[in-house]
Amino acid sequence: MDRREFLKALPALLILPRLLGAQDGPEVVVVKGGNVGAMVRAGLKALGGLGAFVRKGDRVLVKPNMAWDRSPELAANTNPEVVAALVRACLDAGAKEVVVFDHSCEDPRRVYKGSGIADAARAAGARVPYPDPGRFKKVRIRGEVLKEWEVWQDALEVDIIINCPILKHHSLARLTMGMKNLMGLVGDPRSRLHWRLDEALSDLASFFRPQLVVLDATRVLLKGGPQGGDPSFVKELGVIVMGRDQVAVDAVGAVLFGLKPQEVPSVVAGHRRGLGEMDLRRIGLKTLEV
Amino acid sequence: MRLRPYVQTAFLSLFLFLLLQTDYRGRDEITYPVNVFLRFDPLVLFSVSLSTLKVPRGMLLALTMVGAALVLGRAFCGWACPLGTLNEWTGRLGKGRGSHWPLKYLLLLALLSMALLGFQAVGFLDPLCLLIRSLSLALEPLWALLTRGFFNGLYEKGVRVLEPLYEFLEAKLLPLKTPFCGQALFLGTLFLGLLALNLFSPRFFCTRLCPLGALLGLLAFASPFRRRTSQACDACGACSVPCPSGLPPGGSPSECLLCGRCKEACPKRAISFGFPLKGDGVGERVSLERRGVILALLGGLLFGGLIRVNARPLRGRALVRPPGALPEEEFLERCVRCGECMKVCLTGVIQPALGEAGPAGLWTPVLDFRRGYCQYACTLCGQVCPTGAIRRLTLEEKVLTRIGLAHIDRDRCLPWAHGIPCIVCEEHCPVPGKAIRIRQGQVETPEGRRRVGLPVLEPSKCIGCGICEFKCPVEDEPAIRVTPFGEARRGWPLPW
Repeated sequence: MDRREFLKALPALLILPRLLGAQDGPEVVVVKGGNVGAMVRAGLKALGGLGAFVRKGDRVLVKPNMAWDRSPELAANTNPEVVAALVRACLDAGAKEVVVFDHSCEDPRRVYKGSGIADAARAAGARVPYPDPGRFKKVRIRGEVLKEWEVWQDALEVDIIINCPILKHHSLARLTMGMKNLMGLVGDPRSRLHWRLDEALSDLASFFRPQLVVLDATRVLLKGGPQGGDPSFVKELGVIVMGRDQVAVDAVGAVLFGLKPQEVPSVVAGHRRGLGEMDLRRIGLKTLEV
Repeated sequence: MRLRPYVQTAFLSLFLFLLLQTDYRGRDEITYPVNVFLRFDPLVLFSVSLSTLKVPRGMLLALTMVGAALVLGRAFCGWACPLGTLNEWTGRLGKGRGSHWPLKYLLLLALLSMALLGFQAVGFLDPLCLLIRSLSLALEPLWALLTRGFFNGLYEKGVRVLEPLYEFLEAKLLPLKTPFCGQALFLGTLFLGLLALNLFSPRFFCTRLCPLGALLGLLAFASPFRRRTSQACDACGACSVPCPSGLPPGGSPSECLLCGRCKEACPKRAISFGFPLKGDGVGERVSLERRGVILALLGGLLFGGLIRVNARPLRGRALVRPPGALPEEEFLERCVRCGECMKVCLTGVIQPALGEAGPAGLWTPVLDFRRGYCQYACTLCGQVCPTGAIRRLTLEEKVLTRIGLAHIDRDRCLPWAHGIPCIVCEEHCPVPGKAIRIRQGQVETPEGRRRVGLPVLEPSKCIGCGICEFKCPVEDEPAIRVTPFGEARRGWPLPW
């Protein structure tokens, strides 16, 4: 995937709504800017305000990508500023508690610290617990591939789930975005999900149904994903994509990366299962610059 | 006011505190001197010096203990030793009478002569090694299991009122995961059995088996600070009753733990502790039968020698040592099986060997990739090893230190054998640039040809960390395995 293709995709995205006009389909907001806090607030406002999702007294789970022991500049985890901005917005909207969590792939003590997310989230007022093996509960998923799986207990108890992934390359899934990010709410052996990954991700997407997806594309991992580790793999894009439709947000994310939505198997599977809209012509795209 | 229980509690608390700090705390650095008790242990100092014929520099602190014993006798046993304190407290629950055996001196001699032959056996019986090992590998996991089970059980049922207490325990007193150790039952039973012996006779281990106590006892025989009996003594024998060694009034200072219970029991107040005045006798010497001594020395030499001759499985597949481990022969001379590395290991991959390293390697650290993997940017094991059997590496050295090589079993690997997509191994490989690459290929399956991503190893980059084996979904016999072939400490050239 080369830079030229990539840079081409962005202006195309910005003109698209003007060519097609906003449709009746799911709303997806694309915010471009430099100040992360301002971007998050503007994006939420464009979607009708966080108050449309979070009611006073709600318990909210903000689910970032916090899987690898990599510092923020390496774009293997969600930008901690995005997470912190979301936490603050939820608390301002009256949430009783905001929890930030991921079932990391490596030792969580290293990942939570190294990613910068735990510190940023705690400073913003969130509770950030480590994955405790004794706190995963076996539940019926009723999916096509997953019948029963262990799910992190708090995820079952919160009122609102805000999925907060980062847009990055993935050696198996091609891209990892919102639907793939939900793997961080379930227990092991997650490696088995890889055998029918697209269907498994749709099962998870159908089970959790996050109310809001905030796709962090402030920094994007172009290759070597999901772990990354080389700063030359990272592109500073300065974009955040938000929406209520998890398939639509992932579809827009794919375009941002320089791919067509049909080229990302999990997006195709999610659309086919009726979990959301992947057809760009039907997505109500709004772009903002902050 | 009796000072001794407070001093004992303080030392035991310090010991337990340091054991708790032997853990990953958010940085690749252990900031407390967690192995300090071992570095003061003269038995370990002498034994390692004999087996390597070099003096381990980090352990010279132990010479202060030698000096202390020459003056104060076995005060360490009575006032500081954490195992001694546990033995004493357990002994209070029983009703036995104290006694002592010369066996501990024979054991000491045997262990030292084994060391001379290169079999480092001191850790089996040294009280500090024994305590660290038993607590780390058996009792702490048990504590974690019970505590977590209790709190998580409540949490699941919706009882949240105890959460703040759980959070405190999680932060301060519990390891991150409940560690599972393959020999927890064995080690735990031995340890609890040892404690149970105190119910029959107080401080059973200290007075009969402890080789460190024996060493301090030998140094104690001319110690100027000792128990003295004045002329007021009428040989009523009341002092022998509470004495953990069962000593008579004129007993040997080598057996006296300086606990002072005789002094409290004496109805004539004839006993005191202090420096001798002119005219006081030296007291009984340790009397060992010459035959016993010769048997012990000879037995140690023979046993140690035979153990060395016993073919070590040099070709063994399972013997992957921690990064920084010395070449095997010197490693076995230095490793005292204390368990510090196993305690500190972030992922719990370091486990005590059973047969993997031969009989000489019992309870030495080996990596079991079914239980964990060697965390890429971590050097904690080398930081805590008291004898230098695992060298302390810098982070830059460590990430280049190969402890083995992975190899893919194409008959078990899901993509290779069945055309099923996987790549978990490639995903987790931490090496910059990856030591496993994905190659798109066609695989024949009963359903026809499938195009799938196939993992291929790049051996020149692989350091054998084992995360691939750990995460491989084919759990029973992972499709990618790490073996010690190619480990850097052998120093053999490789074809890549």
